[in-house]
Amino acid sequence: MSFAVTPVTAVTPAVPTVDLGAPAPVAGDPAAGARFDSVLGGIDALQQLQSTSQGLAVKAVTGDLDDVHDYTIAAAEASTALELTAAVRNKAVDAFTEIMRMQA
Amino acid sequence: MTIFGALGIASTGLTVHRKWLDAVSDNLSNVNTVRSTTEDAFQARYVVAQEMTSGDGGVQVAGILLGDPEGRVVYQPDHPLADELGYVRYPDIDMSSQMTQLIMAQRGYEANAAVVDRARETYAAALQIGR
Repeated sequence: MSFAVTPVTAVTPAVPTVDLGAPAPVAGDPAAGARFDSVLGGIDALQQLQSTSQGLAVKAVTGDLDDVHDYTIAAAEASTALELTAAVRNKAVDAFTEIMRMQA
Repeated sequence: MTIFGALGIASTGLTVHRKWLDAVSDNLSNVNTVRSTTEDAFQARYVVAQEMTSGDGGVQVAGILLGDPEGRVVYQPDHPLADELGYVRYPDIDMSSQMTQLIMAQRGYEANAAVVDRARETYAAALQIGR
Protein backbone atom coordinates (compact mmCIF):
# COMPACT_ATOMS: atom_id res chain seq x y z
CA MET A 1 0.00 0.00 0.00
CA SER A 2 2.82 2.31 0.78
CA PHE A 3 4.01 1.71 -2.81
CA ALA A 4 0.66 2.89 -4.03
CA VAL A 5 1.10 6.06 -2.05
CA THR A 6 4.54 6.85 -3.45
CA PRO A 7 3.33 7.13 -7.10
CA VAL A 8 0.82 9.68 -5.90
CA THR A 9 3.57 11.86 -4.50
CA ALA A 10 5.39 11.33 -7.81
CA VAL A 11 2.38 12.67 -9.66
CA THR A 12 2.08 15.72 -7.45
CA PRO A 13 5.52 17.09 -8.41
CA ALA A 14 4.22 16.92 -11.99
CA VAL A 15 1.86 19.77 -11.00
CA PRO A 16 4.83 22.22 -11.23
CA THR A 17 4.02 22.14 -14.98
CA VAL A 18 1.73 24.94 -13.87
CA ASP A 19 4.97 26.89 -13.46
CA LEU A 20 5.54 26.32 -17.18
CA GLY A 21 2.15 27.79 -17.62
CA ALA A 22 3.47 30.82 -15.77
CA PRO A 23 2.66 33.06 -18.78
CA ALA A 24 -0.92 32.16 -17.83
CA PRO A 25 -0.94 34.87 -15.07
CA VAL A 26 -2.19 37.03 -17.95
CA ALA A 27 -5.49 35.27 -17.30
CA GLY A 28 -5.25 36.25 -13.65
CA ASP A 29 -4.71 33.41 -11.23
CA PRO A 30 -2.25 30.56 -10.75
CA ALA A 31 -4.95 28.37 -9.19
CA ALA A 32 -7.34 26.97 -11.81
CA GLY A 33 -10.27 26.75 -9.37
CA ALA A 34 -9.96 30.39 -8.40
CA ARG A 35 -9.81 31.36 -12.06
CA PHE A 36 -13.12 29.72 -12.84
CA ASP A 37 -14.62 31.24 -9.70
CA SER A 38 -13.75 34.71 -10.93
CA VAL A 39 -15.26 34.00 -14.36
CA LEU A 40 -18.48 32.77 -12.74
CA GLY A 41 -18.58 35.80 -10.43
CA GLY A 42 -18.32 38.02 -13.51
CA ILE A 43 -21.27 36.22 -15.07
CA ASP A 44 -23.34 36.92 -11.95
CA ALA A 45 -22.52 40.64 -12.17
CA LEU A 46 -23.35 40.54 -15.89
CA GLN A 47 -26.71 38.94 -15.14
CA GLN A 48 -27.45 41.80 -12.73
CA LEU A 49 -26.62 44.46 -15.36
CA GLN A 50 -28.65 42.68 -18.04
CA SER A 51 -31.74 42.49 -15.81
CA THR A 52 -31.40 46.18 -14.85
CA SER A 53 -31.22 47.05 -18.55
CA GLN A 54 -34.21 44.84 -19.35
CA GLY A 55 -36.27 46.34 -16.52
CA LEU A 56 -35.58 49.84 -17.86
CA ALA A 57 -36.49 48.70 -21.39
CA VAL A 58 -39.87 47.54 -20.08
CA LYS A 59 -40.28 50.88 -18.28
CA ALA A 60 -39.50 52.71 -21.55
CA VAL A 61 -42.20 50.76 -23.37
CA THR A 62 -44.80 51.23 -20.64
CA GLY A 63 -44.05 54.94 -20.32
CA ASP A 64 -42.66 54.72 -16.77
CA LEU A 65 -39.14 55.76 -17.76
CA ASP A 66 -38.14 59.11 -16.23
CA ASP A 67 -34.84 59.54 -18.02
CA VAL A 68 -34.04 58.33 -21.53
CA HIS A 69 -30.35 58.17 -20.68
CA ASP A 70 -31.03 55.81 -17.74
CA TYR A 71 -31.92 53.10 -20.24
CA THR A 72 -29.24 53.86 -22.83
CA ILE A 73 -26.50 53.96 -20.18
CA ALA A 74 -27.72 50.72 -18.58
CA ALA A 75 -27.73 49.11 -22.04
CA ALA A 76 -24.20 50.41 -22.69
CA GLU A 77 -23.01 49.03 -19.34
CA ALA A 78 -24.63 45.66 -20.01
CA SER A 79 -23.13 45.31 -23.49
CA THR A 80 -19.67 46.41 -22.32
CA ALA A 81 -19.85 43.96 -19.41
CA LEU A 82 -20.90 41.22 -21.83
CA GLU A 83 -17.90 41.95 -24.05
CA LEU A 84 -15.65 42.00 -20.98
CA THR A 85 -16.98 38.66 -19.74
CA ALA A 86 -16.56 37.15 -23.22
CA ALA A 87 -12.99 38.47 -23.35
CA VAL A 88 -12.18 36.97 -19.94
CA ARG A 89 -13.80 33.68 -20.94
CA ASN A 90 -11.79 33.58 -24.17
CA LYS A 91 -8.57 34.27 -22.28
CA ALA A 92 -9.36 31.47 -19.82
CA VAL A 93 -10.17 29.02 -22.62
CA ASP A 94 -7.03 30.06 -24.52
CA ALA A 95 -4.91 29.41 -21.44
CA PHE A 96 -6.61 26.08 -20.90
CA THR A 97 -6.10 24.88 -24.49
CA GLU A 98 -2.47 26.05 -24.27
CA ILE A 99 -1.97 23.81 -21.24
CA MET A 100 -3.71 20.90 -23.05
CA ARG A 101 -1.31 21.35 -25.99
CA MET A 102 1.62 21.06 -23.59
CA GLN A 103 0.50 17.62 -22.51
CA ALA A 104 0.20 16.38 -26.11
CA MET B 1 -15.17 53.46 -7.59
CA THR B 2 -17.10 50.83 -9.50
CA ILE B 3 -16.12 49.36 -12.86
CA PHE B 4 -18.30 51.74 -14.89
CA GLY B 5 -17.78 54.75 -12.61
CA ALA B 6 -17.58 57.33 -15.40
CA LEU B 7 -20.88 56.14 -16.88
CA GLY B 8 -22.69 56.39 -13.53
CA ILE B 9 -21.30 59.85 -12.78
CA ALA B 10 -22.17 61.14 -16.26
CA SER B 11 -25.63 59.71 -15.73
CA THR B 12 -26.15 61.87 -12.63
CA GLY B 13 -25.02 64.91 -14.64
CA LEU B 14 -27.50 64.06 -17.38
CA THR B 15 -30.30 63.74 -14.83
CA VAL B 16 -29.57 67.14 -13.25
CA HIS B 17 -29.44 68.88 -16.62
CA ARG B 18 -32.65 67.17 -17.69
CA LYS B 19 -34.33 68.52 -14.55
CA TRP B 20 -32.92 71.98 -15.27
CA LEU B 21 -34.38 71.69 -18.78
CA ASP B 22 -37.72 70.72 -17.20
CA ALA B 23 -37.58 73.76 -14.89
CA VAL B 24 -36.83 76.15 -17.76
CA SER B 25 -39.59 74.54 -19.79
CA ASP B 26 -42.00 75.06 -16.88
CA ASN B 27 -40.98 78.71 -16.54
CA LEU B 28 -41.30 79.45 -20.26
CA SER B 29 -44.64 77.71 -20.60
CA ASN B 30 -46.04 79.79 -17.70
CA VAL B 31 -44.60 83.09 -18.85
CA ASN B 32 -48.08 84.37 -19.71
CA THR B 33 -49.95 82.75 -16.84
CA VAL B 34 -52.13 85.49 -15.40
CA ARG B 35 -53.46 85.53 -11.85
CA SER B 36 -55.67 87.99 -10.07
CA THR B 37 -53.94 90.44 -7.71
CA THR B 38 -55.41 88.63 -4.67
CA GLU B 39 -53.32 85.52 -5.53
CA ASP B 40 -49.58 84.90 -5.78
CA ALA B 41 -48.13 85.06 -9.28
CA PHE B 42 -46.64 81.92 -10.86
CA GLN B 43 -43.24 81.48 -9.23
CA ALA B 44 -40.30 80.66 -11.47
CA ARG B 45 -38.54 77.35 -10.67
CA TYR B 46 -34.79 77.32 -10.11
CA VAL B 47 -32.91 74.01 -9.81
CA VAL B 48 -30.25 73.87 -7.08
CA ALA B 49 -27.42 71.48 -7.97
CA GLN B 50 -25.24 69.87 -5.32
CA GLU B 51 -22.30 67.47 -5.53
CA MET B 52 -22.74 63.91 -4.28
CA THR B 53 -20.34 62.93 -1.53
CA SER B 54 -21.33 59.26 -1.25
CA GLY B 55 -20.57 56.44 -3.67
CA ASP B 56 -18.84 57.25 -6.95
CA GLY B 57 -19.64 60.94 -6.72
CA GLY B 58 -21.53 62.98 -9.27
CA VAL B 59 -24.19 65.62 -8.90
CA GLN B 60 -27.76 65.73 -7.66
CA VAL B 61 -30.63 68.17 -7.35
CA ALA B 62 -30.66 69.50 -3.78
CA GLY B 63 -34.01 71.19 -4.27
CA ILE B 64 -36.06 73.69 -6.21
CA LEU B 65 -36.06 77.38 -5.29
CA LEU B 66 -39.09 79.46 -6.19
CA GLY B 67 -39.05 82.96 -7.64
CA ASP B 68 -40.86 86.10 -6.54
CA PRO B 69 -44.59 85.53 -5.76
CA GLU B 70 -45.25 89.25 -6.23
CA GLY B 71 -44.71 88.98 -9.98
CA ARG B 72 -45.41 91.99 -12.17
CA VAL B 73 -48.65 93.89 -11.61
CA VAL B 74 -49.95 94.94 -15.01
CA TYR B 75 -52.83 97.29 -15.84
CA GLN B 76 -55.19 95.27 -18.03
CA PRO B 77 -58.77 96.30 -17.26
CA ASP B 78 -60.29 94.16 -20.06
CA HIS B 79 -58.88 90.96 -18.52
CA PRO B 80 -61.47 88.71 -16.83
CA LEU B 81 -59.23 88.37 -13.75
CA ALA B 82 -58.62 92.11 -13.37
CA ASP B 83 -59.45 93.62 -9.99
CA GLU B 84 -61.65 96.69 -9.53
CA LEU B 85 -58.68 98.97 -10.36
CA GLY B 86 -57.97 96.99 -13.55
CA TYR B 87 -54.77 95.21 -12.48
CA VAL B 88 -53.64 91.57 -12.94
CA ARG B 89 -50.52 89.70 -11.84
CA TYR B 90 -48.02 88.30 -14.36
CA PRO B 91 -45.08 86.07 -13.32
CA ASP B 92 -41.77 87.86 -12.97
CA ILE B 93 -39.83 85.74 -15.47
CA ASP B 94 -36.98 87.21 -17.47
CA MET B 95 -37.22 85.73 -20.95
CA SER B 96 -33.60 86.31 -21.95
CA SER B 97 -32.35 84.79 -18.69
CA GLN B 98 -34.54 81.73 -19.30
CA MET B 99 -33.26 81.36 -22.88
CA THR B 100 -29.68 81.59 -21.62
CA GLN B 101 -30.39 78.93 -19.01
CA LEU B 102 -31.99 76.80 -21.73
CA ILE B 103 -28.76 76.89 -23.74
CA MET B 104 -26.66 76.15 -20.63
CA ALA B 105 -28.85 73.17 -19.69
CA GLN B 106 -28.71 71.81 -23.24
CA ARG B 107 -24.94 72.21 -23.53
CA GLY B 108 -24.42 70.68 -20.10
CA TYR B 109 -26.56 67.70 -21.09
CA GLU B 110 -24.60 67.30 -24.33
CA ALA B 111 -21.28 67.50 -22.47
CA ASN B 112 -22.33 64.68 -20.15
CA ALA B 113 -23.59 62.63 -23.11
CA ALA B 114 -20.15 63.15 -24.72
CA VAL B 115 -18.54 61.80 -21.54
CA VAL B 116 -20.72 58.67 -21.82
CA ASP B 117 -19.62 58.20 -25.44
CA ARG B 118 -15.94 58.68 -24.65
CA ALA B 119 -16.14 56.34 -21.66
CA ARG B 120 -17.71 53.63 -23.84
CA GLU B 121 -14.97 54.06 -26.44
CA THR B 122 -12.35 53.90 -23.68
CA TYR B 123 -13.73 50.67 -22.22
CA ALA B 124 -13.92 49.20 -25.75
CA ALA B 125 -10.25 50.14 -26.27
CA ALA B 126 -9.36 48.43 -22.99
CA LEU B 127 -10.99 45.23 -24.27
CA GLN B 128 -8.70 45.34 -27.31
CA ILE B 129 -5.54 45.20 -25.17
CA GLY B 130 -3.64 41.99 -25.83
CA ARG B 131 -5.76 40.95 -28.80
